[in-house]
Amino acid sequence: MQLNWRAISEDHPGPKWAGLFRHYWPDYHRWWAREGAEARPGYLDSRKALRAHMPEMVPLYDQLVELAGGTDHAARFLSFYCPPPYLSACSQAIWPGKEPVLVRNYDYSPKAFDSLTLRTNWQGRAVMGTSDGLWGLVDGINDAGLALSLTFGGRRVVGDGFGVPLILRYVLQTCETTAEAGRVLARVPTHMSYNVTVIDAQRKFLTALMAPDRKTIITHQAVATNHQERVEWASHARFTATVERERYLLQRLTLHVESKEKFIKAFLRPPLYSSRFDQGFGTIYTAVLRPRQRQMELRWPHASWPLDLHDFREDTRVIYTPEGDAATE
Amino acid sequence: MAAELKNISEIRRHFHRNEDPIYFISATNFNLLGLDEWCKNFKYISYIDCYGGKHPNTFVPSEQPHAEFQSIEDINNYLLQHKEVIDLIKRRGGKPKFVFLMFDEETERLSKELGADVWFPKAKLRQKMDNKIETVRIGNKAGVPSVPNTLSVVESYKHLNEICDKAGLGHDLVLQSAYGDSGHTTFFIKSEADFRRHEHEIIGEGEIKIMKRIDCRGSAIEACATKEGTIVGPLMTELVGFKELTPYRGGWCGNEIFSTAFPPKVRQKARELTFKFGEQLRKEGYRGYFELDFLIDKKTGDIWLGELNPRITGASSMTNHAAFAHADAPLFLFHLLEFSKKKFKLDIKELNDRWADPKMIDSWSQMVIKHTDDTVDIASDVPETGIYRMDEDGNVDFNRFDYHRRAVESENEAFFLRILQPGDYRYEGADIGILVTRGRSMTNGFKLTERGKRWIHGIKAGVHGRPMPTAEAGPALADPAFKIM
Repeated sequence: MQLNWRAISEDHPGPKWAGLFRHYWPDYHRWWAREGAEARPGYLDSRKALRAHMPEMVPLYDQLVELAGGTDHAARFLSFYCPPPYLSACSQAIWPGKEPVLVRNYDYSPKAFDSLTLRTNWQGRAVMGTSDGLWGLVDGINDAGLALSLTFGGRRVVGDGFGVPLILRYVLQTCETTAEAGRVLARVPTHMSYNVTVIDAQRKFLTALMAPDRKTIITHQAVATNHQERVEWASHARFTATVERERYLLQRLTLHVESKEKFIKAFLRPPLYSSRFDQGFGTIYTAVLRPRQRQMELRWPHASWPLDLHDFREDTRVIYTPEGDAATE
Repeated sequence: MAAELKNISEIRRHFHRNEDPIYFISATNFNLLGLDEWCKNFKYISYIDCYGGKHPNTFVPSEQPHAEFQSIEDINNYLLQHKEVIDLIKRRGGKPKFVFLMFDEETERLSKELGADVWFPKAKLRQKMDNKIETVRIGNKAGVPSVPNTLSVVESYKHLNEICDKAGLGHDLVLQSAYGDSGHTTFFIKSEADFRRHEHEIIGEGEIKIMKRIDCRGSAIEACATKEGTIVGPLMTELVGFKELTPYRGGWCGNEIFSTAFPPKVRQKARELTFKFGEQLRKEGYRGYFELDFLIDKKTGDIWLGELNPRITGASSMTNHAAFAHADAPLFLFHLLEFSKKKFKLDIKELNDRWADPKMIDSWSQMVIKHTDDTVDIASDVPETGIYRMDEDGNVDFNRFDYHRRAVESENEAFFLRILQPGDYRYEGADIGILVTRGRSMTNGFKLTERGKRWIHGIKAGVHGRPMPTAEAGPALADPAFKIM
């Protein structure tokens, strides 16, 4: 499948963002309303939830809603409050060398992926990352040198809370250190289970095991795949090989003294690299986040795309993902 | 209840006529290999069939979809819920007795559902004993000293250094978290880079045992705490961290048993300490089989307690097949005796003295062969279980099928137990199999012998894999006509 990947920069919410919204909204709208719009919380409750848990984001939210045309559905969608459930796979790990580096694979269906890297300077804070849902992020980095990324936590429970991409955006908009991020992740409710790994320029790191039905667990895990402390959703775990991927990554951390490059390359081959695109869990990209340099890099088996927060160049790439390869048994 | 068993002969007879169905449930039957020949109605229920269906007392249920196993306990809990396993146990009738290598409270619950007794102390007690920090405490009470150490939560490398300065341990350290197998939770830390590699296993993991690193030999000894006293097996050497066998630095990869493995004084001391430790375990409420690792200082011969495994272990097959085990009875038989509620009398001192006699010990070694390359693929060929023969040029060939390790006739033969099955993932650290030879596999200086290396090479040469299928995402240059927005 062909992905037309874009890197876009816009300091303040404006015409570019409005254009992106127009582009993605029909698909997102269909997805968001697939169980009927009445299945989602109303505008008042959505905005109230934002005000209660991410008050700093409300002015920005209002601004984006305005740019999106101000409709009720758009406003409710953009609040990320209790969205329809979604899953992904993903692996992420912190390189054991001296420099803080977070590497992650994003395993998801190319059909439901925005293929968009967004750099913003909203509210005076420069942030870049892989965009989801127009202002959410599935990984990213800010100008304070804080970087983070998410993996699905492998649990079916859905509850009252926010879609995790907005929580990641919120952390990057308001935090500068891992300790601050940990406090936010422990506090903000998520609507499904996610593992969020955070690292800062001091190389302090944590992984927050977030869930809608229990308190967030802040761990010192350097690796996260698709389960939390124990495998709870056996078929998903088996299908995505989460235990094998975790074991493999832990081996990498402790058995090998290896260069950054070698560590990164391990993400581009099995068992971390997944080609189950037709089943929604193919590795769409590998991201390398370098908090000290304020840089990130997107990687594929044969190419890389460096991105610099302070020297960001808008560009496009065409990425071809392998099609219908179910032979990955 | 019938009459009291008064001597070894009666104990042996009792088990040869045993009517209770006893099951060893585990991933493989390796740890208690051969015990079915001492105890009637003793069966193995395994997850992996190392024998291709040719072992008469091993039952392997067909593979069912299951959750990813995160531990041996998970495998056992899967087996206990498998219909074919339940059918087998019901069909054979009687009041089943289960023994395990590892089990947890869920295993206990499932065993109860099946109307079975678990012939081990409760999981909760075992887990408490298995905690390395608890081991130090029990050792101290029993008068069995541990390597100079301190116990502390560790917050950072700086914090670790402060702790060590205060405790006078220096900065060349061995750290262990409370639980875990050697090689997985034992970290050698000399620098900040070492610390970074393991910090995710140290920070936030609670109290850590911080030891001064000493220049030592690893050794293992197994024992069984019975109501009549603690029966002590022989002191074995440990094969540790050989790169031909394991990718884990400091990881256990085999054992040797031979009468002169350590100087007589060290052997005697280790036996005494093990006896004392066993007696203390009984006071703590533990009984049955256990294993101790002793660290023996290369220079001084000082002997320190390394760790306690309150269970059977990977070395149990060595203890239970040495000459003394054939002369009297395998140590594990006394474990079964202890849990059978059968009345027995035993002169433990006499037995222990006899087992201390070098004449009772013949020389064997076992090597646990793992995949040591940093590669992942799918195993296509793996040498099958049986007896292998080495020719004069060092080539290793399959000679005949057997599941008795004592069928190894000479040092030119070896018994190989296949663990990795064709079709399994072969990844760094995956078990390929276990090789048992007569004679030694290490030199007096605790290096692998040339013969040992040839055996490993010979087996590994028969293991082949096919690459994992991989697709490639190849980005091409951007289409210049593609418009943003």
